Amino acid sequence: MILEVLKVTKTFVLGAERLVALDGLDLCLAEGDFATVIGSNGAGKTTLLNVTAGTYRPDRGKVRLAGRDVTHWPAHRRAHLIGRVFQDPLQGTAAHMTVAENLALAAKKGRRGLSPLLSARRRRTLAETVAGLGMGLDQRLSEKVAYLSGGERQALTVLMATMTKPKLLLLDEHTAALDPANAEKVLAVTEKLVAEHRITTLMVTHRMDQALQVGNRLIMMHKGRIVLDLDAEKKRGLKVEDLVELFRRVGVCDDALLLGQGLAVG
Amino acid sequence: MLLGAAEQGLLYGLMALGVYLSFRVLAFPDLSVDGTFPLGAAVAGMLILRGVNPFLAALAGGGAGLLAGALTGILATRLRIPGLLAGVLTMIMLYSLNLRIMGRPNLSLLGKPSVLSGLAQVLSVPRGYGTLVASGIFCTASAVLLLLFLHTELGGAMRASGQNPDLVRTLGVNPHNLQILGLSISNGLVAFSGALVSQYSGFADVGMGVGTIVAGLASVIVGEILLRPRSLLGAILAVVMGSVVYRLAISVALRYGAALGFTASDLRLLTALVVLGALAAPALRAALKGESP
Repeated sequence: MILEVLKVTKTFVLGAERLVALDGLDLCLAEGDFATVIGSNGAGKTTLLNVTAGTYRPDRGKVRLAGRDVTHWPAHRRAHLIGRVFQDPLQGTAAHMTVAENLALAAKKGRRGLSPLLSARRRRTLAETVAGLGMGLDQRLSEKVAYLSGGERQALTVLMATMTKPKLLLLDEHTAALDPANAEKVLAVTEKLVAEHRITTLMVTHRMDQALQVGNRLIMMHKGRIVLDLDAEKKRGLKVEDLVELFRRVGVCDDALLLGQGLAVG
Repeated sequence: MLLGAAEQGLLYGLMALGVYLSFRVLAFPDLSVDGTFPLGAAVAGMLILRGVNPFLAALAGGGAGLLAGALTGILATRLRIPGLLAGVLTMIMLYSLNLRIMGRPNLSLLGKPSVLSGLAQVLSVPRGYGTLVASGIFCTASAVLLLLFLHTELGGAMRASGQNPDLVRTLGVNPHNLQILGLSISNGLVAFSGALVSQYSGFADVGMGVGTIVAGLASVIVGEILLRPRSLLGAILAVVMGSVVYRLAISVALRYGAALGFTASDLRLLTALVVLGALAAPALRAALKGESP
């Protein structure tokens, strides 16, 4: 197993209110799994990613990565095993550094010596890598990332998160802030890179069509638990309407969620 | 007057490079420089009075600054004290410490060996230009070293940490460590600058650090306005140039300001107004265009 989340509970206290974000959640991902996660707001999707990445520590339960207990590892230590892409394209890159510098930082993940960040040879290798995105970024290596569009920036972030072949890739609604055309492009890049490096992936999305379109597993969360876990076979041929029906059957009927799909699909 | 401004601009330029590192690279407005500037002068001054080589004394002053900067970094990260307050705390602690190091508020270094005149002698620079050349060598060497450092893996990670700590974390580096190291280097430069300035002016004074942060920011901002740098090299050149222009402006103001009714004591007010204007410019421009803040 690449990822094992075992009986994890995480509660947030907001003033007098207690919010149970994860309620004894269990999740295992085998090597090569590409699981999509859907659920209404407050279902605990992002908390699941944060507990996995080490942003938060669970109140109870364990997190194991590639066979190692990482429950008490800080985020930067787990980062050697994990690639992560956030929703906000601004969050995954350093805006005032060049495309090449950003890529070099990612390529040298964890290594921080006094050798130059960019050598001529490294630049050539990075140019080849970034050319694979097919967005012409190899011609813009010396441009600051701030001048890139949201789609280009997010594609670059996906590349940066995958280029060191991490054990696990966490995607947190990483196409939600993009227009439909760019979202499609970034998703295609993601699928290509994940397949190329055979990276186990956990992708949170708010769009049911996207959750059905990609990956070999579909997970539905509700109130801090997994209420539905479909494998590739059960997922195949499923339509958004079928998914909505399945949700109703497991007792999840969230107007906001269904309304959101209406907008996204229609 | 021009010569003196250039000499001072280069010597204070080291301080401005330190402020650039904390303020622009780390995005951390570090007030401890008001304490580390005289710290460098105090440590170097005491060592010179005890007969230590003035260059080694200046290096020791810079070393003291490294430690003080690391302290600010640890306060701000490990102890989670807000950045501005962490700087103020270090600055206040250093005020007492500087008095203790010197044993009195003021040390005279007149007639003592100075690394500036020493270097000029070694290089046999024509009379009158020795200090300028020596200042230029120190400033250039520091600028080149800083520039090289910012282009290393470690320096690159440090730049990224100022812009996006989350990114650095996802890359497997603890941004807190980078911040501590960066503040350390920044205050090392500032203290080294203080040590050189005290040898230049012939005294070390416990009050010589007041307003260092504002003068440093003014140099950084003036340089940016004049050069509009797009690369790191440009940014570093701009800082040094900003420092020289700032010192020149001050000597002009001191010389001719009296005619307009200004006195030397108005200097800090004027400097602060320059910095205020530059920092407020984006907001003012937006307001003029009718955008709400």
